[in-house]
Formats: sequence, C-alpha cells, structure tokens
Amino acid sequence: MTYSSLRLCSGRAAYESVPTPRRSLDLAKIRHRLEADGVVVVDARVLLIARLEREVTIARDGRILIKSADAREAERLLAQVLSLVGT
Amino acid sequence: MAHGVMLMSGGIDSPVSLHYLLRQGHEMTAVHMDNRPFTDDSPLEKVLDHLQLLRARYQQRLPLYVLPHGPTQIALMRNTDRHVGCVLCRRFMWRSAEKIAEREGATFLATGEALGQVASQTLANMRSATAAVELPIVRPLIGFDKQEIEAVAKEIGTYGISTRPGLCCQAVPDRPATRSSLVQILHEEERIDVDAILDEVIRHATVM
Repeated sequence: MTYSSLRLCSGRAAYESVPTPRRSLDLAKIRHRLEADGVVVVDARVLLIARLEREVTIARDGRILIKSADAREAERLLAQVLSLVGT
Repeated sequence: MAHGVMLMSGGIDSPVSLHYLLRQGHEMTAVHMDNRPFTDDSPLEKVLDHLQLLRARYQQRLPLYVLPHGPTQIALMRNTDRHVGCVLCRRFMWRSAEKIAEREGATFLATGEALGQVASQTLANMRSATAAVELPIVRPLIGFDKQEIEAVAKEIGTYGISTRPGLCCQAVPDRPATRSSLVQILHEEERIDVDAILDEVIRHATVM
C-alpha cells in the first residue's frame, strides 16, 4: 500500500493523505504499536487520534489527517506515523 | 423580551442568527460544544471573537458556556450506528443547551440552522434531533439561503472570522443519514448512558 502526496483540506488547517489502494486498517494493532512507542492515543473505534507533536487522525479506511497547516511539518509527521504504524 | 440560549459553532450562520435575536432585544447566553479532539482550537477561537464583536455592538454581557463534546463523540462512535451519528451528536447539543437554559433561567433555545443546508439540517433529522428537548427552539435563519446569510455576516463583520482556517469535524461519517427515524434514534441511544454522559458534560462546563 502506498500513500498519496499530502493535500490541504478544505478548511486549510490540516493535510490529508489517502492510501492506494484503499484498504481497511487494523486500528487495534496500530493503537498498540503507537502506545508501545509512548504515543497517547484516543480510540474512537472507527478512527484513532494520535497525539504526536501535532494530533494525527488515522481512519479505519486508511486516510491519515495531520492537524498542521505547515506542509513540511505535515510531511515529517506523515513519515513518522507511517513508520510507527508499519504500513 | 425573553432570555434564550444560542448554540454557537464558530461557523458563518450562528453569529448571524444571534445578531437577529440581539437586535430584537432578547437577552442571550451562548453555548459552544467543544468538539476537540475531533476538530482543532479554531472553532472556540472563532466563537470568542464572534462574541467579542457582538458584545461591543449590542452592549450585552453575552456569557459563553464552553461544554466538552469530545468524550460524547467518542461514546457515540464506539457504541452506536455511525450513519445516524450526526443526529445523535445534535441531540446531545440540544440537551446540553437545555441544561444551561435551566441553570440560567432561559426560556428558549436558538441556532443558526437553515433548512436543508447540510445532512443534519433536513426536516426529518431536525425533528429527530429536537425531540430530545422540551424548550421551544428559535431558528431566525430557517428560510434564508447561504448567500443571504453570508451577506449579513459580511455586513456585521463576522464573516471574516468564520472563514478563517479551521478543521472540519472528524466525527462526521462518510454517508450521514439524511432521513433518520426517531424510533431508530431512540434504539441507538439505548446503547449508551445518556444521563451519565450529559451529567459529565455539564459538570465540566466553563463560563467565559
């Protein structure tokens, strides 16, 4: 699975990346990986919110949203999340 | 004139709706449902700026209650059907506003809803959502179209605040129901402890 380049959301306050092809993520497994790395995670069943340097939302359908309007910061956090979740 | 409680989102519509009620001379109390972490800090910042502007314009105290809504969203997302998530969410907003109205001695609730703008504002969903409360609900913008609302927002100076960057609600499902039935909604609410959730919301209210 590969992730698209980041796209600024319509509200201009976050960047989003979507996986190709779309697939359902095992959020329970991802949550355990993140928590094992010391990341605080909010588990809302259909999505996780990981408290990194900025909050990052990981949806069950694979979408990742980074709460930052700074493209470079968002790229860096996306790489960090992908390495942590192992996708 | 009456005392009402206005739900404020930080968007374009609610400050315009509040403007009309203040212009009529009603005493108003604002309520903002703080949706973090499903959004960012921007909605609360926008509401604070909207109120600062309207306080100055109408020389009214306009207290703001900020109520935590994130934990409610988590309970709904974990336990209920996502398709009707927006209606269930809305019911908690109304209930919370009604609790604040009881505390403040207010006799009506108000919003910036206009018919059919988004999924949560279809007639069927409005009915399902507002069945959760007993106080009358006033919707000054109900027959307005978006262009009319935006024109007033620009005139009173709230448009620029509302359109600053901000994160959309992350809890909105991919395909929200536009025609919910009250029977289905009540069935979904059996999966959660409504009173306990509401008590927590009110217990953590802050006034600004």
